[in-house]
Amino acid sequence: MVAVSNIAQLGSDIVKLWNHYGLVYLNGMWKTVSLAVICTVVGCIIGFICGILQTIPCAKTDHAAKRALLGLVRALVRIYVEVFRGTPMILQAVFVYYGLPYFTNNAVHWSSVWLAAFTVVSINTGAYMAETVRGGILSVDPGQTEGAKAIGMTHVQTMLHVILPQALRSIMPQIGNNFIINLKDTSVMFIIGYTEFFATHKAVVGATFLYFPSATIEMAGYLFMTLVSSFLLRRWEKRMDGSDSYDLATTDTLAHTSGLTRFPGGRRRAAMKGGR
Amino acid sequence: MEENILQIRHLSKTFGTNPVLKDIDFSVSKGDVTSIIGASGSGKSTLLRCINLLEIPTSGQIFFHGGDITERGFNVPAYRAKVGMVFQSFNLFSNMTVLENCMIGQRKVLHKDRATAERTARAYLDKVGMAPYINAKPRQISGGQKQRVAIARALSMEPEVLLFDEPTSALDPQMVGEVLDVMKTLVKEGLTMIVVTHEMAFARDVSSRAVFMRDGVIWEDGAPERIFGNPEKQETREFLSRFFGV
Repeated sequence: MVAVSNIAQLGSDIVKLWNHYGLVYLNGMWKTVSLAVICTVVGCIIGFICGILQTIPCAKTDHAAKRALLGLVRALVRIYVEVFRGTPMILQAVFVYYGLPYFTNNAVHWSSVWLAAFTVVSINTGAYMAETVRGGILSVDPGQTEGAKAIGMTHVQTMLHVILPQALRSIMPQIGNNFIINLKDTSVMFIIGYTEFFATHKAVVGATFLYFPSATIEMAGYLFMTLVSSFLLRRWEKRMDGSDSYDLATTDTLAHTSGLTRFPGGRRRAAMKGGR
Repeated sequence: MEENILQIRHLSKTFGTNPVLKDIDFSVSKGDVTSIIGASGSGKSTLLRCINLLEIPTSGQIFFHGGDITERGFNVPAYRAKVGMVFQSFNLFSNMTVLENCMIGQRKVLHKDRATAERTARAYLDKVGMAPYINAKPRQISGGQKQRVAIARALSMEPEVLLFDEPTSALDPQMVGEVLDVMKTLVKEGLTMIVVTHEMAFARDVSSRAVFMRDGVIWEDGAPERIFGNPEKQETREFLSRFFGV
């Protein structure tokens, strides 16, 4: 039985690798996770800024200067999105990493590879998030904006308190998607020498030539990171939705404590649907 | 002479090449309860939305206490805080609880402190019979309850005028009753209201003035007893006969 002996061989190779390089792998995983988390957060911030800038209302009655400025901002955001969405991230890394010294005649270098990797992945994520956030804002029922306007809220207040919280909730699955993509795609940062999880593999096989066993560890490691992330993201989404039931307050309007009755929201909605 | 709160002069609104409102003249005094009736597409909702500047009039003027709200530079948010609006589709903020819905405007627009805002919100929620539901989210309550919360949200801003845009059109008959009851209470308390409605009984029995709109113009305007009892125009009579089966 060839297969059984191969699997036994693979097992012992993995144990050997892990005994020698376990900490190196773990360090690589840590660097991958930390880069992905930070870049997703910063990317989301960039995305929100771009999405907000693109959805500023602009009427024909507004001043020409305001309209021109908004047009310029929208064009710049558009160029940014198209360029960073339309080129491979591995190339963007090279471009940015070597571009800075090139254009400053070697006067300015990236102070660390981490900083360069952080910049590239964040900007790349931001380009995708810009469109996601714009979609999220557009998906919020226009009635919500009218409700806010009708009580005198300004555009900024409406966005801050009504639209963005709802947009954020509706794009959470997409943010999760981007995070998981980042967990895997930060691997291309090996090209500029950032030693994340995949770069660890290259270093280890360079010393041991155990290509397949190391790749198996990598596969399991990436899958572990993405599965845990999926699970945590789902839980976070559920928490954002809040409780499905609510406390019925006592009829005394001056009492600040809420009452004892609990209305299960799910059953109530089902009952209402049945009643119609 | 009674003070005109709102005065509309030569108001027109065109969507593309389609004129929806044509040269509307109309004014509202303090305490007036004006019902605007008419067929769908006659421009009544558009008129109401122009009054709150949710639609920008194509031409004409709207004066609020003598100030032209259509003028460039007019403080629109401050105006809207004084002229509330209740929508057919409620438009409650779905990311907030019932209580928060009634507090956010007071906090952010009127800059009231939390305790004052909460006290006011609770008082108006109590008035519309929704005090027990302060912790519920809009998705957890029924249509009639949502509309009552929406009325409480508008009242929490303590507006001078309240606009109702077909407030009962999305509700089943029982819920229509609970919302109309709340509105009748407000009429008794002397709130100035403009109500776009298909509830002819409300227009006839509760309001102090009825306006019949047709094809973007005010076709007939007067005391409800006269409009419903003895309309001058043929079209008004035809429209009403469809409701009362004459």
